[in-house]
Amino acid sequence: MTATQSILAALLTPLLSAVLIAFFGRRRGVLSSIVSVVAAAGIVGFTLLAIRSAQNETITASFEWLTFGDFTIHMGILFDGVSATMLSMVAFVGFLIHVFSLGYMADDKARGRFFGGLSIFMFSMLGIVLADNLIMIFIFWELVGFSSYMLIGHYLDTDEAAAASKKAFIVNRIGDLGFLVGIVYAYWHFGTTNLSEMEGIIAGNSELISTTIAALLMCGFIGKSAQFPLHVWLPDAMAGPTPVSALIHAATMVAAGVYFLIRIDYLFTPEVLSFIAVLGTSVAFYAGFCAYAQNDIKRVLAYSTLSQLGYMAAAFGFGYPGVALFHLITHAFFKALLFLGAGSIIHGCHHEQNIFKMGGLFKKMPLTSLTFILGTLALCGVYGFSGFYSKDAILIAAGFESGPLFVLLVIGAFLTAGYMGRLVWITFFGKSKSEAAAHAHESGLAMTVPLIILAVLSVVGGLTQFWPEQLGGLIRADLDTLHHVEGYDAMHLKVIYLGTAAWVVGLLGALFFYGFGAKEDRLETKAGPIYGFLAGRLWFDELYNFYVANIQQRVAELLGFIDLVIIKGLIVRGSAGVVGAFSICAKALHVGSIHNYVYWFLGGLVLFMAAAAGIF
Amino acid sequence: MSIGLNAFLTIAGLLFAIGFLGVILRKNTLVIYMSLELMLNAVNLALVSFSRFNNSMDGNLFVFFIITVAAAEVALGLAIIVALFRRRQSVMVDDLNALSR
Amino acid sequence: MSVLDILFYVFSAITLISALLMVVNPNAVNAAMAMIVAFVGTAALFVLLEAYFLAILQILVYAGAVMVLFLFIIMLLDVDRSEAEVAYKDKLAFAAAVIGFGLLVVLVAAAFLKGFYLPEPAVLPVAELPTGQAGGFAFTTSAKSFGYSLFTKYMLPFQVTGFLLLSAMIGVIVVSKKYSEDTK
Repeated sequence: MTATQSILAALLTPLLSAVLIAFFGRRRGVLSSIVSVVAAAGIVGFTLLAIRSAQNETITASFEWLTFGDFTIHMGILFDGVSATMLSMVAFVGFLIHVFSLGYMADDKARGRFFGGLSIFMFSMLGIVLADNLIMIFIFWELVGFSSYMLIGHYLDTDEAAAASKKAFIVNRIGDLGFLVGIVYAYWHFGTTNLSEMEGIIAGNSELISTTIAALLMCGFIGKSAQFPLHVWLPDAMAGPTPVSALIHAATMVAAGVYFLIRIDYLFTPEVLSFIAVLGTSVAFYAGFCAYAQNDIKRVLAYSTLSQLGYMAAAFGFGYPGVALFHLITHAFFKALLFLGAGSIIHGCHHEQNIFKMGGLFKKMPLTSLTFILGTLALCGVYGFSGFYSKDAILIAAGFESGPLFVLLVIGAFLTAGYMGRLVWITFFGKSKSEAAAHAHESGLAMTVPLIILAVLSVVGGLTQFWPEQLGGLIRADLDTLHHVEGYDAMHLKVIYLGTAAWVVGLLGALFFYGFGAKEDRLETKAGPIYGFLAGRLWFDELYNFYVANIQQRVAELLGFIDLVIIKGLIVRGSAGVVGAFSICAKALHVGSIHNYVYWFLGGLVLFMAAAAGIF
Repeated sequence: MSIGLNAFLTIAGLLFAIGFLGVILRKNTLVIYMSLELMLNAVNLALVSFSRFNNSMDGNLFVFFIITVAAAEVALGLAIIVALFRRRQSVMVDDLNALSR
Repeated sequence: MSVLDILFYVFSAITLISALLMVVNPNAVNAAMAMIVAFVGTAALFVLLEAYFLAILQILVYAGAVMVLFLFIIMLLDVDRSEAEVAYKDKLAFAAAVIGFGLLVVLVAAAFLKGFYLPEPAVLPVAELPTGQAGGFAFTTSAKSFGYSLFTKYMLPFQVTGFLLLSAMIGVIVVSKKYSEDTK
């Protein structure tokens, strides 16, 4: 099987699974779960085949899909080292989450719909990873947004889920407006939207790089990867089932934005790059604070995701896309682990999500707790874990590029350790604070085996020396570049000290401040105003609500008025009315009296004669 | 004969006008129909005079056809009037009006 | 002033007066009679125009067949005399009619007076007309030329008229058929 065929097979397998589930599996939960998991395994298999047969070359293939005049939309694949790396991560983590869902969603009635949604999501995500031109990326971008909408709103009967899915989709669309304008502009500017062709054009003539195009395409990234100001949808998206949060909102979809940036890296000018760096750092900083005021375990992890996405954006902004990709991959491992662990806890505590109602889970669910703690250590950047290597590289890059941002990012590392420590001490240690937690039990194999695998990856995944040579080419290249910057060793030492201080201070500080298994949030009781300010999260949601409810609603009502009265009433009904008036006049002519008809005939005759005589 | 084309055409025109008057003013369907035939006749006269004064046979032949077709038309028209009479028991134009006004 | 001119004036007077009588007469049968006289007058005018065949045709077909058919139907339908009114009562209709008629007369007169004249073509003796002049067959008084033209230049209208007569016959039969319960 050639590489192209394996890639296409990998891309189309989840689509096939989704179609089968849509037609046959809506009511049959067991059937759809098996189909979906088999498809996910198939993706992994085809990915391995493709990587092996590609032999480290870049594979491209495309065909013309639609033609309008001299404008053509192509569908094609661009399979190089970056996409190979991303593809393997998406396929493998996706497969593990599929297996986890077998256990987690075992008693859900709408399993068929869920697994269908997972399959269509995998298809869309693989489309983004493999696409070779901007328009195809956009198409799959929207498909991913749709899958996210469908999966967040999985629990149909809760208002919260419906509102969250709508919010996610709409906020995404706002970013996509900039994206679409950027694509059009790029086509107009370069004459093509194909990634390799654009790269070639710019390599030939570097005058053609345009800040506007980069800024517009960045809007798509801002929407999808939840940067300022479009970050508001990610915490709300936790209303979906936990495997969805793990897959979409931690490992893959939100990372698609960063992946997209890496793909179009050559389009960026220094101004846009520095803007992205600032944006990323501010989100990393902001989210770190917000996590202290959250009581829901998934919300804490959501803000942690926001924070880490900010780190990835900052790494890209400093000019090291490989480092961003590295953090993306390691983040996928440990964040998926953390979310799945949270899912296991939630499942074990019978859908209790408030951390202040848990406690003492370490004894009841040892495997889950252990893997969760390993994931936490990776997230905090403890030496030797995967998160350490990637975060290390980001901080070093920050140190070289920008002093203030370096400070902010280091503070972010302190904050990360702090809130994760808070989460761990309160959830796992101390005494059980509710009935549900007291009766918690370890989850079944379907849920624990993925946790173990992901834990292993979180620990060793950062050692890029051991990665297969087809993967991680860009990562190694950028790390190499970093190594050879002047003053690397001094900076590296500084970062190691600061990083170690961060996690030690953070974890122990959280222990002393919050204590084992606290019943209520000490920050809330001791320093209420601070807690309230943090819980406000800078009131973005309230601001947007105000805008939508008051300003946009007025505009919408005005447009509605125009539509109803002017367009429908005046123009449509009016023109019909004019025709009706004509018909009434014409009807008046048809009286039935022959003589009347003859008079009209005479009138026409006189007119013709006058015309013939030349009067008019 | 010193009568020229214009004289014949005047006669034809007057005949046509009289026929038209009959169509407008009379209420009896049959008389209206006869007035129509009068109009046709006026046209025949005009055609024959044109044919004579332009030295062409075409006008005469056209009149030939008009006479033929008019005869067929009269037959059919009268059949329709008879059928209408069966329906409405009257040939007065006002009584034949089936529209509500 | 030859005899033909006098004859022209006489016959045109007869035609016009009987046409007027036809239009005005409240009795349908009287109107039909006047019509016959008008047709005969027209036939006479045809003779004056040396279209002898057509004159005979006019008498035979129009005055002889068409008007007889009219009379037949009038008497069949037996219209009541009192209903046959002229629409003098309806002022507006009358006014419109008079105006229309006046317009027609004016237009006809204008052709006579204002220089809309048709040029008076020369009236050549019939026998010496060359053939092919005026784009068609030359004017002759013989019936043979009718036949000749009908079967060469006007073959198609001739045949079509045949079909037309056939369809008219069928149409008459269909329209005047009485539908009762047992004759379906």
